[in-house]
Amino acid sequence: MSEFDLIVVGGGIMGCSAALRASEGGMRVALVERAAIGSGASGVNAGTLSLQIKRVALMPYAIRGHRWWQKAGDKVGFRRTGGLTLAFNEREATLLEERMRLKIAAGGPIELVTPGFALQREPSLTSRVIAASWCADDGYASANRTGTYLRGLLRDAGVTYLEYSPAEAIDGGDDGFQVVTPLGTLKGRRLLLTAGAWTKPLAAKLGVEFPVHVRVNTVSVLERGPATVGSVIGHATGLLTLKQKADGTVLIGGGWQGRGSSEEGRGEIVPATMLDNLRLARFVVPPLARFRLLRAWTGFEAHVPDFYPLAGALPGIRDAFVLSCVRGGYTIGPYIGRLLGDLILGKEPELKLFDPARFAGPTTALAV
Amino acid sequence: MVCFRFEGAEVKAVAGQSVGVALWAAGIRTLGRNPCDGTPRGMHCAMGSCQECVVVIDGARIEACRVVARDGLVVTAG
Amino acid sequence: MTADHDLIVLGAGPAGASAAIDADALGLKTLLIDEQDAAGGQVWQAPTPAGRPGSASEGETLRRRLAASGVRTAFSQRVWHIEPGFVVSTAGPAGTASSRAQALILATGAIERHVPVPGWTLPGVIGLAAATNFLKAQGVLPGRRVVVAGVGPLLFQVAAQVLEAGGAVAAVIDLNSRTEWLAQARSLATRPELLWKGFSWLARIRTAGVPVLSRHALRRIDGSEGVESVVAGTVDADWAPLPHQERSFQCDAVCLGFGLTPLTDASRLLGARHVYDPSLGGWTVESDADQKTSVVRLYACGDGAGILGAAAAPLRGRIAALAAARDLSRLTQADFAERVRPLRRDLARTARFGLAMAGLTMPRSGLLQAITSETVVCRCEAVTRAALDRAIADGAVTINDLKAATRCGMGPCGGRSCEDAAAALIAARTGHSRERIGTGTARPPLRPLPLDSLLGDFDYEQLPIPAPAPL
Repeated sequence: MSEFDLIVVGGGIMGCSAALRASEGGMRVALVERAAIGSGASGVNAGTLSLQIKRVALMPYAIRGHRWWQKAGDKVGFRRTGGLTLAFNEREATLLEERMRLKIAAGGPIELVTPGFALQREPSLTSRVIAASWCADDGYASANRTGTYLRGLLRDAGVTYLEYSPAEAIDGGDDGFQVVTPLGTLKGRRLLLTAGAWTKPLAAKLGVEFPVHVRVNTVSVLERGPATVGSVIGHATGLLTLKQKADGTVLIGGGWQGRGSSEEGRGEIVPATMLDNLRLARFVVPPLARFRLLRAWTGFEAHVPDFYPLAGALPGIRDAFVLSCVRGGYTIGPYIGRLLGDLILGKEPELKLFDPARFAGPTTALAV
Repeated sequence: MVCFRFEGAEVKAVAGQSVGVALWAAGIRTLGRNPCDGTPRGMHCAMGSCQECVVVIDGARIEACRVVARDGLVVTAG
Repeated sequence: MTADHDLIVLGAGPAGASAAIDADALGLKTLLIDEQDAAGGQVWQAPTPAGRPGSASEGETLRRRLAASGVRTAFSQRVWHIEPGFVVSTAGPAGTASSRAQALILATGAIERHVPVPGWTLPGVIGLAAATNFLKAQGVLPGRRVVVAGVGPLLFQVAAQVLEAGGAVAAVIDLNSRTEWLAQARSLATRPELLWKGFSWLARIRTAGVPVLSRHALRRIDGSEGVESVVAGTVDADWAPLPHQERSFQCDAVCLGFGLTPLTDASRLLGARHVYDPSLGGWTVESDADQKTSVVRLYACGDGAGILGAAAAPLRGRIAALAAARDLSRLTQADFAERVRPLRRDLARTARFGLAMAGLTMPRSGLLQAITSETVVCRCEAVTRAALDRAIADGAVTINDLKAATRCGMGPCGGRSCEDAAAALIAARTGHSRERIGTGTARPPLRPLPLDSLLGDFDYEQLPIPAPAPL
């Protein structure tokens, strides 16, 4: 049995980023992942890197996360296309303006623009735009390429990683942690849980109960088609993300809900909801009517009641940490993962973290 | 006999034949180019699975093997 | 608009149509859905006026019986999603619809197993099953001068039919040796009428002086805008190419086939358990002697539940109908047992023949060696063998890994044309089992769908846009 300085449970963007940071800081790091690296929410989300849809309080994190993606560049299919957020009635226009002013104040490089600006930039948009905002930094990456990229980084950094090896048991004590997987038992001084929608049951194994809820987000992809829209398109409510990739395919998301649960490990689309998501997309960009729907799927997005991250020490358990429930986690993940890495290394993180103790309650059955 | 157009040219088909088979019989094998490598593609499985015979009919992309030829159809390459 | 039925049957080929007719007779309110405009499936497809009349007399009987039954039919409908429970979403000429039933029988049939050959994306290369459709249902020759290549009985059927329809056959190129065919003589003898058919095909091919190259494979297909010629060569017992034994043939079409593989996207979408069984055509939904899958009230029959051929299909369909009727309490266990007995007996007999034919087409390890590094494996995304080999060397061990790394299987066909070959490449390189390599995650829609037909007309104001995300 080998001894690591840190065992990371969960090989998504956040787990890998924290593992890489801790490794940079001189730690011996092992990472276990139930499926393939980056194959959960990190790999199946719509890949939107939009500052306009980030929460006000998370804007500084998003801006820094965005830089990581830009640096990863072609390897993750990064494109800085600029993004438009649109409103089509008075209510949405008010919402758009209110929200964007707060995001601008929080440092978001966003500007309120005229409908004419939006239509000039994207002539395929519906003429029914009545208000718009623009962010030149918005863009996207290819979520399906995240895992391959992260795996390479882990390998280059010398991080031990086990794929297709779920943590079947986690035991903690004064002499560190043991993580039991089908491929063997790992022993480490410190533990970090970064398992997205599966964080709740893992924390419960250590006697910590978090009020984690899971959303089942729908994503659809349309077949390659003629160049129709160049910018990332969003809706004032945040309930649409739309982009045409360089290869001509169109990805449509926005958090429309499918059904299923992370416990069953199976999410599925709800046809009626998916069709309304597509109708919204087709309304906003009418020429999409000519495209074919290729595939639709769902991904799990975890959150706690205040929709802020769980990022910090696992309450009541020495040397255990948790990072999950980051809204906008695809953009923010690489950065907040590094912050957690710094915390684990005993360094002062550049920006403040989000203490999980605000929610944690002990489970009655288990005490460590 | 029915008559439709492919890329502007007149194509004759026996009633009931699919657009794809009628084009094949007329010696038109290339129905489009692969968007990734630009190579010519045409009917392959003839049962709606492989998607190689997709053409544009009345603005919509559809498998030529699944559309029955009708008089006046305007078909362009996929 | 969701209509309610006791039973929905997907696929109106020999298995599905037989299942629906029997289920109706057993008192089940039954809906039969198919994407073609009439029953018959691929094998008993209704001929067009240009097709060969009488080429599908079994099909005619089936269609007559179906019309005389109380089965509700939904033809020209593409099933694009199935939810547990069961809700079937369809798209057709009149728009979208959904139907609900307590039980579901999948009779979705098979597709051709694709084995990449250098040049196989050239226009003019069609599947053997496609060729039979051209010849029988549509009355069109695949080419003026055709090469028929691959493996299995369809080789000889297609070659003979091309000759019969007035075309020329440049060569028949068969992976199997004559000895391997003869070894199947006993199971072939269980179906004397088919054995006789086979002899007549061979006689016609021989009379026409067509070269029949046994234990040969296509090395490559050449041409610029379409098929112009092929190069064939000898293979060893594992079907690996042997050097320096090549012949080339001029032709304008290639009919290429390597046997059939069950279509499993619907059963995978429903989360049923699948098994990898090369003798049944590869990945197959698991079904028991009652045709029940691992999902409650979900049944599978016909070639979609393992390749056993057209003769076995109606029997398995009828067994599935009996099982559904019993499970929906329309038939006692005793009645079920009595009725199912003769069907199972007939099935055991016909299955032997089907298995023997599938056995002749079972892929062998050497086939992969003929795939050169520049050969396109994933037709849709134009992913070459070299790109796949690189990704596998780089750590891709499952089909989903390979998709993420190369886009193999992410195009319009959803991996139906490339997944088997891609999995075989992983298996050859890593030694992992097909179970570990897995299949791609099944995702709706089952086939690409044009948005306009799917979405219909709507008002923006009517869209139920949820409450905004938290600020």
